[in-house]
Amino acid sequence: MTSTDANATASPLELVRRTLGQAWRDLLSIYYTNTPIWRLLKSVGLLFFGFFCWSASSLLLSYGVDWTVLTYTRAYGFVLILWGPLTHAVVVPFVIRLRRTADRPIFRSVARHGSKINLSVFLTLVLILGTAPVSPMLLDFQSSLQNGSGSDVNPDLVCSKSDGEITCQLSDSDGIDAVVVTSGGREIERLEGPPFEFTIREDDLEEVVGQKEFVVELRDADARTLRRYRRYVSSVPER
Amino acid sequence: MAHRLDVLGLFDNEYRDDGFRTCSVTGLEVHRSAENHVKLFGLTAVVALLYGGILAITVAMTRWEVVGLLGPEAFYKHLSLHAWNLLIFWMVFMEIAILYVGGPMVLGRRLPFTAIAKTGWLVMAVGAVLVNYSIWTTEPPNVAPLLTAYVPLPIDPLFYAGAIVFILGTVVAALPFFVTMWQEKQDQPEQTLPLVSFAAFVTAIIAVEALVGGLVAFTPALLWRLEIIEWWDAAWYRQMYWIIGHGTQQINLVAMIAVWYFLTHVVAGAEVVSEKVSRTAFILYLFFINLGAAHHLLSDPAVSTGWRIWNTSYAFYGATFASLIHAFAIPAGIEAGRRKRGKGGGLFGWLTSAPWSNPVFSSTIFSIILFGFLGGTTGVMMGQLQLNMTWHNTFATVGHFHATVVLGTTVAFMGLVFFVIRTMFMRQYISERLATLQPFFYSAAMGVAVLMMMYVGILYGVPRRTAEVVETIPGTEFSLSAASPLFAIFGIFALLAIAGGILFILLAVGSLLFGDRIESSDNNADLVADGGGSERSSTSSASEPRDSLAMATDPDDPVHAYEMRGTFVICLVFLAAFVITYLLNWYLLTQLWSIGA
Repeated sequence: MTSTDANATASPLELVRRTLGQAWRDLLSIYYTNTPIWRLLKSVGLLFFGFFCWSASSLLLSYGVDWTVLTYTRAYGFVLILWGPLTHAVVVPFVIRLRRTADRPIFRSVARHGSKINLSVFLTLVLILGTAPVSPMLLDFQSSLQNGSGSDVNPDLVCSKSDGEITCQLSDSDGIDAVVVTSGGREIERLEGPPFEFTIREDDLEEVVGQKEFVVELRDADARTLRRYRRYVSSVPER
Repeated sequence: MAHRLDVLGLFDNEYRDDGFRTCSVTGLEVHRSAENHVKLFGLTAVVALLYGGILAITVAMTRWEVVGLLGPEAFYKHLSLHAWNLLIFWMVFMEIAILYVGGPMVLGRRLPFTAIAKTGWLVMAVGAVLVNYSIWTTEPPNVAPLLTAYVPLPIDPLFYAGAIVFILGTVVAALPFFVTMWQEKQDQPEQTLPLVSFAAFVTAIIAVEALVGGLVAFTPALLWRLEIIEWWDAAWYRQMYWIIGHGTQQINLVAMIAVWYFLTHVVAGAEVVSEKVSRTAFILYLFFINLGAAHHLLSDPAVSTGWRIWNTSYAFYGATFASLIHAFAIPAGIEAGRRKRGKGGGLFGWLTSAPWSNPVFSSTIFSIILFGFLGGTTGVMMGQLQLNMTWHNTFATVGHFHATVVLGTTVAFMGLVFFVIRTMFMRQYISERLATLQPFFYSAAMGVAVLMMMYVGILYGVPRRTAEVVETIPGTEFSLSAASPLFAIFGIFALLAIAGGILFILLAVGSLLFGDRIESSDNNADLVADGGGSERSSTSSASEPRDSLAMATDPDDPVHAYEMRGTFVICLVFLAAFVITYLLNWYLLTQLWSIGA
């Protein structure tokens, strides 16, 4: 009788039992598959899965989701990043080899229970780190957004033109060390201190794709660009 | 006899008097004209890969701010060169080679109009050089174009000219393929195309659509930049631009899937579970895949909400459905094909017994798995109107397209290059062991680097295209320094991935120059699924790998007679990963909007 025939006549309970039994045997066969390629595949696959569990749980926790189980999935992912590759690249091959070669009782015992010992250590670590997490496993998502260590530099640049001249000023000069005005890559004005108000002549500006334009860069004390504004003469209002 | 210009003997194979030879691995009747042009385009693609790969070092080491190699302007220039050489030139040169494989080679025909093919190659090469030169010599007021040379950004006119020349060259190079298809239908009007040829044909149609979009976008932009026309509508330009901007990536996708079908069939003995279903999936691509381009405009004020919802919800799922069909059909084909040969055993015995030491096989499988899990799922999420807002212009977007174009297409194309080295250039790898290792090493390292890109983008909101963010975004009151640990992992694994890429180039070029020449068909027996059969048939069909079913228990059994429960389990795992990732992204979005708070 084929397995399909057997399934057709089996009771639902028997069918579930058989399916679960087959799934368990499949799982064991995957766990113990020991070719170099599969050792690598399982190790890398668990590494990826660990990363996912760790980061996704951390993310949900950072949003204040108070499901305790998440602290354990976070710990599971974190430990799995190392333990997954360790298990399938080192422990399983070692246990399989030991089952073939062990001749002393203690080694035979380790060989027989090696996977259970490994899994127990792994789960114990997960329980400990889930209950009392250590700092390297805590991804910080929000503190840097709340510490207010910097200051926002985003003033308005107000320009107007009259008689071939353009005058500009900044609404706020806090945090700005220098202002550099360029046109077509050529520097035409540099202001080293407030008030950052300047006047440039339209004739000094380069034409780019049919339009005269200039760029105003705000820089900090380390000469790093804080903000950059590009203005076209045609869009500057008349005074 | 080799051509007098063939000093390295790369184009020197033994052909019969009619110009054909029989490939010992695929059983295909290969004509000299088709094979030489596949080699020409393939070699050029590898040169672009090498150049773009070198620029990957400077780009990655700038984004990893612990190193912080380049300043903002130099970084953008390097990033533009990196993108154009890898996203466009490496891919498109390879895709023309794939068209010549899928067309004349699979159909057992000679390549018609070889002078046109050579002209196409030359024009493409000139266009590629022009684009590279224009980006490299960009000076203010021009800016480096990256892949979004939006009007009215001032870009060097030479860039637009180079892009137009390259596009025209590609259309010219594709012409012999279309002529082959036409000739085939003239000669065999009642016969359907083999699946790989059909896939190549769909690829070519999508390619022409994308390329015409490129001409429609770039030609007026060039005229505007030369100030021949005074004004050009930026919103119109963006719509036209993305037909090629994203369309080229859709060519990669369809070409990659054609390669998946071809290589899994040849080296792993995969069967096509249902020709009709697979062909239908390609047809769905034809109608819907280019709508994926719409996701670039989801934050664009110029398009209506109706336009966005149509393109990114209803129509877009036509392409997603097609991808899900292939995602099932290809592993199912491998499973059924291998079980038919008696290579099943348990749930995953068909996979464990597969030729993992063959880099052609492992590259193909990693491409399928990593494209599906990392690139495909994130693509569907990014293509959705609502979720797009959390991904748009963050580093996660960069992670997504590295998952599709690098882990998917590039890895598949690397597998194809490994295959071509053995079957067309007739060279042994300079190191079998390193060739076996390379796909594992590169895919794993790149996979982690890609995950980190996604994480720092989606979890921290780290922007793309900028040289510095972690130290601080200058002038703003928040910092992204919390992303530093993941950026460190990204930096390390990016370096490892680059090392894997260098290893590929060394293996490919080294094997061509110094690999032992394959004189006998027995030297390639390991490339055929399970080493092929003991008795070799001389009458194998042109579209079938030689001896593909020699080891089958009963070659006449329909493929449906074999169970595919391993594939079913893999698909369930894929579905679970998809659902969890989807829910997580939606949860993140609801938190941003404080829904229910």
